[in-house]
Amino acid sequence: MTTPAPITTTTASSSPHVDPAIFSSLQTKIDEEQAIRDELRTHVDVLSKQGRLTQSILSRIHNTPTDQLEANVLTPCYDALSEQTKTVKELAESASKYPFYKWNSIWQRDIQTLISSMQLCDWLKSGNLLTLEEVGQRLNVPVNLKSEDAFHITVEDYLLALTSTIEELARLAPNAVTLGDYARPLQISKFIKDVHAGFQLLNLKNDILRRRADGVKYSVKKVEDVVYDLSLRGLIPKNNETG
Amino acid sequence: MAGTKRSHDGMEVNRPSSKSEPTSEQTSPFIPVFEFFRSELDEHHDRRERIIKVSRDVTAQSKKIIFALQRVRELGRPIQASISKQITPMHSTIQDLLQTIVPDLQGINAYRYRNNITGGIQEFMEAVIFQHYLTTQRVMTFEEAAAQLPEGLTLTYEDYVLGLFDTTGELMRFAITYMATNGRLPGSEMGSKSNILTDMQLLRSELEALDVGGSYGLSKDFWQKLRTTRASIEKVENGVYSMIVRGKERPKGWRPDVSLTDGPREADQVESY
Repeated sequence: MTTPAPITTTTASSSPHVDPAIFSSLQTKIDEEQAIRDELRTHVDVLSKQGRLTQSILSRIHNTPTDQLEANVLTPCYDALSEQTKTVKELAESASKYPFYKWNSIWQRDIQTLISSMQLCDWLKSGNLLTLEEVGQRLNVPVNLKSEDAFHITVEDYLLALTSTIEELARLAPNAVTLGDYARPLQISKFIKDVHAGFQLLNLKNDILRRRADGVKYSVKKVEDVVYDLSLRGLIPKNNETG
Repeated sequence: MAGTKRSHDGMEVNRPSSKSEPTSEQTSPFIPVFEFFRSELDEHHDRRERIIKVSRDVTAQSKKIIFALQRVRELGRPIQASISKQITPMHSTIQDLLQTIVPDLQGINAYRYRNNITGGIQEFMEAVIFQHYLTTQRVMTFEEAAAQLPEGLTLTYEDYVLGLFDTTGELMRFAITYMATNGRLPGSEMGSKSNILTDMQLLRSELEALDVGGSYGLSKDFWQKLRTTRASIEKVENGVYSMIVRGKERPKGWRPDVSLTDGPREADQVESY
């Protein structure tokens, strides 16, 4: 009986068909990415740590009477924000060496938290919404870059941050009443409604921004309920007209 | 305020002029800036949708090419005319499709839509690496693979590696069919030191040796893909074993028994069509 001869095999590494250089250069590319990630991580970790401090300062708005806000919350908050701004500068310098969208998921969350802190702080100080351009100016980084590949603040970052800011303000409305400030809910209500009207203009796809923007209407309702409770009981200050 | 009419989701309903924009929109100071955001987001979504569509179409064409290539009966030769005639237009379709999104993937946007295009590129990689192996019996290098994309599109090593993984499944299918038809292993003629099995084994050990911990793009799919690749190679190993042991006993139309061991479930995970 004839059977085929056993397949002649040699040690696999001697195959001329699979060039080992393919895999050594792949490994090099992977290792280079790891090094980039580590570099960016160090900045983001600092930013994240500083961000937690900023957030903890800002969370005092819920139990700080409005007349003490400036001294007890806003001033320390701006100090904390300026520390974060320094870190953003370092991060931006590092990150601008690499393709922005390849790496931006590393810092997205912390940058959005930072923008939200800035928006909240500014609104509490002036009642105005910090614009995307102003965010860029304060952080000293470009915004909404469309061709140049460098670190910047995106429209999505700004809008996602804004949804968090709205949620925080909606939480503040009842807490302000608890602290005796009956005018605050009206002011918040007007602002949230204006922002909500803005969000309604957007054609959102089924993504994170849509889910977060959908949440804005619950904030509108939450604050409206507070305003309703106040107006029902005649607790709305006279010199304030409703939004 | 108290008597405001509300719809089910708690929003104010503007009774008198339901056709026109709600009043808050007319008065909101943020309308202009949000109109700007809208146009920015629309541009982004449109671009993304174009890319997703191209990715799907490239995937479909690549699958057809792979399917046609499975009818190739020789290794290390140019693709036979009948099959070549079929796949050449598919290749040009893919090139044309990719060409249409080159402007969408320039500059800062090169990586922005990575997740949207990666499926198509991986499948295309699978097709070109498979075709290259069939004609040359060599594994296409990353540089050669990158040159398959139209100018202006960058190949990521992730897409290359993931395409390479899938190619091992095609090599398995090709090897099994070849053995069933010819009674020997492809690439083993002419006193050649290596054959498709040794190539696959080497490919497997090289892939296993990669440390992908540092790659976010790879670490997600890597282990799943590696399991499938291992299963593919074992199928060929078992096929070769049974071919040698049973040799000429095999009746006409016999196919190598690839499920020698009590089939690990992974064996079923090889993508089929």
